[in-house]
Amino acid sequence: MNAYCWLMRTLLAVAVCALIGGHANAHSASDAFLTLTVQKKSERKGEKKVLRAQWDVALRDLDFVLRLDDNGDGDISWRELRAHQKAIAQYAYRFIHVADSGGGACVLEPRRQMVDYHADGAYAALFFTIICDPASTHLALDYELFFDVDPSHRGIMVMRSGDSVATSVLSPDNSHIQIPL
Amino acid sequence: MFLLWCLCAVATVAHAAPTEPAPSAPLPPYRDPYTPTVDDEVLQQVPAASDPDVLQMKVLRNQLHRDSSNLRIAHQLARAYIEFGRQVGDAHYMGYAEAVLRPWLKQPSPPAEVIVDDATILQFRHQFEEARQQLKTALAKDPHNAQGWLTLATVDMVQGDYDVAASECSKVAVTAGLTIGLVCTSNLRSYLGQAEQSKTLLTQIESTADGQPPTFVSWVEGLLAETCERLADWKEAEVHYRKAIALTPKDNFLLIAYADFLLDRNRPAEVLPLLQDSVQSDTAFLRLALAKAALRSPDLPLYTWIMGARFEALAQRGSDYFGREQVRYALYLKHDPQSALMLASRNWEVQRAPWDARVFLEAALAARDPGAATPVLTFLRQTKLQDPVVDSLIRELARLESSRGSAS
Repeated sequence: MNAYCWLMRTLLAVAVCALIGGHANAHSASDAFLTLTVQKKSERKGEKKVLRAQWDVALRDLDFVLRLDDNGDGDISWRELRAHQKAIAQYAYRFIHVADSGGGACVLEPRRQMVDYHADGAYAALFFTIICDPASTHLALDYELFFDVDPSHRGIMVMRSGDSVATSVLSPDNSHIQIPL
Repeated sequence: MFLLWCLCAVATVAHAAPTEPAPSAPLPPYRDPYTPTVDDEVLQQVPAASDPDVLQMKVLRNQLHRDSSNLRIAHQLARAYIEFGRQVGDAHYMGYAEAVLRPWLKQPSPPAEVIVDDATILQFRHQFEEARQQLKTALAKDPHNAQGWLTLATVDMVQGDYDVAASECSKVAVTAGLTIGLVCTSNLRSYLGQAEQSKTLLTQIESTADGQPPTFVSWVEGLLAETCERLADWKEAEVHYRKAIALTPKDNFLLIAYADFLLDRNRPAEVLPLLQDSVQSDTAFLRLALAKAALRSPDLPLYTWIMGARFEALAQRGSDYFGREQVRYALYLKHDPQSALMLASRNWEVQRAPWDARVFLEAALAARDPGAATPVLTFLRQTKLQDPVVDSLIRELARLESSRGSAS
């Protein structure tokens, strides 16, 4: 390919998108969904404060970092996902940390993984329990999933405590948040 | 595969419920998180490893991993991500490109080509003002950056600033060569009531395009198709769409432009096979839903519901760059002209391409509020856009206005 052709090729990435119809980006960017539920007193382990968590992480995103599609055919099957569940847990839990109001780390206990769907595709649903100091009045959540490979990733967090619901969008600029208990 | 996806889609709705489903829509079929029982159950489609573009990205990623401070490789990888993301219509790749560029963008004075790449990503996200600022910074550093001038011309064209875009197309001709400069100018002319000249120019470029990369020829064919639409030459427009798609069959932008053409020509049944492999693309999904609506398909409520869930997911993350699509969703799938008009008005503040004008006029007409369309009508009078669909909408709005005048 001569230099002229190369120049044309490199120019096209931007040109075609807007000059043909000026159409928008077609697919939404990466999201994960983190739902935390404060357990009622009767369900707590001793006097510890316990939250149940469901963390839905898109298989497309996990495939980018862990390559779930082993045979490379473009389809992630249940067999392939199951074979990577341990790797998924090892990867994902590195990027979420919870501390109590005294600064001590809460314990994250992974429970199980299932499959969940959202409007844009299949997700690995990671279920886990967060166990914190009983005196804790709030939690400090530190969330960094995928930010190193995709700064446009967002963690959509929903926290349920009794009748109240709080939400937050976790991003590279909002990766450390305080959640009142 | 499509059927399979639809089955999956039935399950997708559990967590992304729109806040207010239409009362007439059936309850979506919920599915709680589950553990599959069949090993071969396909859960998700991803780009196949054998795809040449995927292979190229992998090679570049490995090279960068070994030599992480190499700007040349980083730039190539970022451009590969941007181009692939654009082609398949997947915003994830813009994020991947951003991550690759980040170490250079953090420098006090990033290289011009890195700033241009960043602007390209911002442009994809419809952050036009931020993109423009970045491009001006890059072009001040390197006035010969052809990509920078073309991107700037594109941003100004999408936002309807045609005088500025014209001078930027001249810069494109100087920095990228006459052919690309002419394509830039001819596209601009099609927005300015000079579609005939635009067609002549593009046809001339097409006739000498032998041996050029397929992406370039496809670009010219796609623009010719749109120019022919402006001239109401539907037959020739279709010939050019088909030529373009034959050259770049995966191209999301072309596929949805052709799908819109088919919807306009009252040929919705042809949209379904055209977009059957693009269901994960939100813009493609909207056209499928519109085709289902036109066909009065029994699964239309499900398509409408999923489309709503996708917009809701976008709103949750604070993204708002599907203005034009949201107008059509509100208008033709939710039958809510007032919301459509509000969305169209908001979209008009960001984008002023012919399709943005069109959906605004359609919303104003459906809402029976011709006065609301004044900013668009003023803009169209100034720019002299030539478009049979837009012209017909203008006439209908004028009739509505005059019937009101005579009634009062």
